[in-house]
Amino acid sequence: MDTAHLVDLLLAVGMVVLALQVVSERAVLRSIILFVVFGLVMALAWTRLQAPDLALAEAAIGAGVTGALMMMAWRRLLIINPDQPADTPRGRSRVAVPVALLAAALVATIGLSALNIDPHANGAGLIALDELTDTSLGNPVTGVLLLFRNLDTLLEMAVLLIALLGARAVSTPAHPNEAAVVETSAPLVGALLAILVPLSILIATHLLLAGTNEPGGAFQAGAVLAAGGVALVLTARLQPGERPGVVTQLAVTAGLLAFVGIGVGIMAFGEKLLVLPGTWAIYVIETAMMVSIGLTLALLFAGAPALVGRPK
Amino acid sequence: MSQILGLAVLFLLLNLVAGIWRVARGPTAADRMLAALLFGSTTVAVLLLMAEWMTMPALRSVALLFVMLAGIVTIAFFGLPAGKDEQ
Amino acid sequence: MNFQDGIAVVLLIAGCFFYLAGTVGLLRFGDVHSRLHALTKADNLGLMLVCAALAVLAADWRISALLALIWLLGLLAATVSAHLIARHARRGWE
Repeated sequence: MDTAHLVDLLLAVGMVVLALQVVSERAVLRSIILFVVFGLVMALAWTRLQAPDLALAEAAIGAGVTGALMMMAWRRLLIINPDQPADTPRGRSRVAVPVALLAAALVATIGLSALNIDPHANGAGLIALDELTDTSLGNPVTGVLLLFRNLDTLLEMAVLLIALLGARAVSTPAHPNEAAVVETSAPLVGALLAILVPLSILIATHLLLAGTNEPGGAFQAGAVLAAGGVALVLTARLQPGERPGVVTQLAVTAGLLAFVGIGVGIMAFGEKLLVLPGTWAIYVIETAMMVSIGLTLALLFAGAPALVGRPK
Repeated sequence: MSQILGLAVLFLLLNLVAGIWRVARGPTAADRMLAALLFGSTTVAVLLLMAEWMTMPALRSVALLFVMLAGIVTIAFFGLPAGKDEQ
Repeated sequence: MNFQDGIAVVLLIAGCFFYLAGTVGLLRFGDVHSRLHALTKADNLGLMLVCAALAVLAADWRISALLALIWLLGLLAATVSAHLIARHARRGWE
């Protein structure tokens, strides 16, 4: 057994143990911290599976958004009800064991059949790689997302918008004091923000531009932008607003509008639906998607229809 | 050289296994968060080593994202009332 | 193994040693503030040595600059995190 196998084994066992801990831990805060740790191990597992695009997404979403989101949800629960027990009630649901057994059976079935698949007989990936040479793209993931299966990507953008509208419909807007956790005068935090926020814009742009040829793309870039926004919301530099202005509404829908606009507009020139006319169209759509994804995630985090600057 | 990089990755991962103990034991919430910090900084080193070991330069971007965003979870953690998870 | 690889191996072993020191500190020290102290400093020294080893191996200015940036960001994140966690821990006592 060589080093690579040992590393893989350690990651696989570690992930299963951590996942079990996350769901079986009774103290809520411990579960949250374990989930953050699980995200880190997950990113390492994606890299071992040769999927750097997913590792990037896991890093941006896991480190920048979900961990902080769960901690803020826990904080809000404690504010609403200060006597909230720190533990979840003892005892497990009666369906827990059957569901776990069914899930294990499903994983075993899929795993066993995956072992029997001859990797070369499966042509879809090879066809996609072949077709990619006719385009100017170097990253097969971007090729699939924006050229070969772009209807899926378009619908994903629609789902994101619907999620935002749904969250807005059911949640009451957060009070500014609930969204922010650090008093604005806290030392060092200002220094962190002064570096983190400009850098997140820079890195997001880099990931977007790099996405055509190497791992990266609109989703990862949008998540990095969202992380910058989350940092600003947490430190009260951005506060929940009452109603969205024109700019917010345009930015949230920009990805969908650009995608539909170019994808349908191309039919006027005798092309088929959603056939993108060139690399410039990919850049336009990806930029618009990055802005929409970033702002939507930040708004979902703040639990507010709009974000406004700190009143002077 | 590849063998040595692999061993370094393995060594750092074993370090993390030890860190789990601190997450589980606590005793304060700050201790658990500290252990999560250990996971963060070690994961960054593992990713950088893997970038060289597996010749995947994109992993350096992943490491950059982790190290850049590591402060955000801590800021959120800071907002939690202390004394709620001690036992 | 040539001279360059030799330097990288020495730096890498030193880096792993400091990571180990940080973990041992996290496990063995008596209270939360000493643990904080041990971990954030030792780990960042470890990260610097690992980055230096990889920069020697890569022998490329772009990669070295990226590694330096990652290390500096690591320092920043560790500083702010240590500060905030320490304040959070102190608030628990009062």
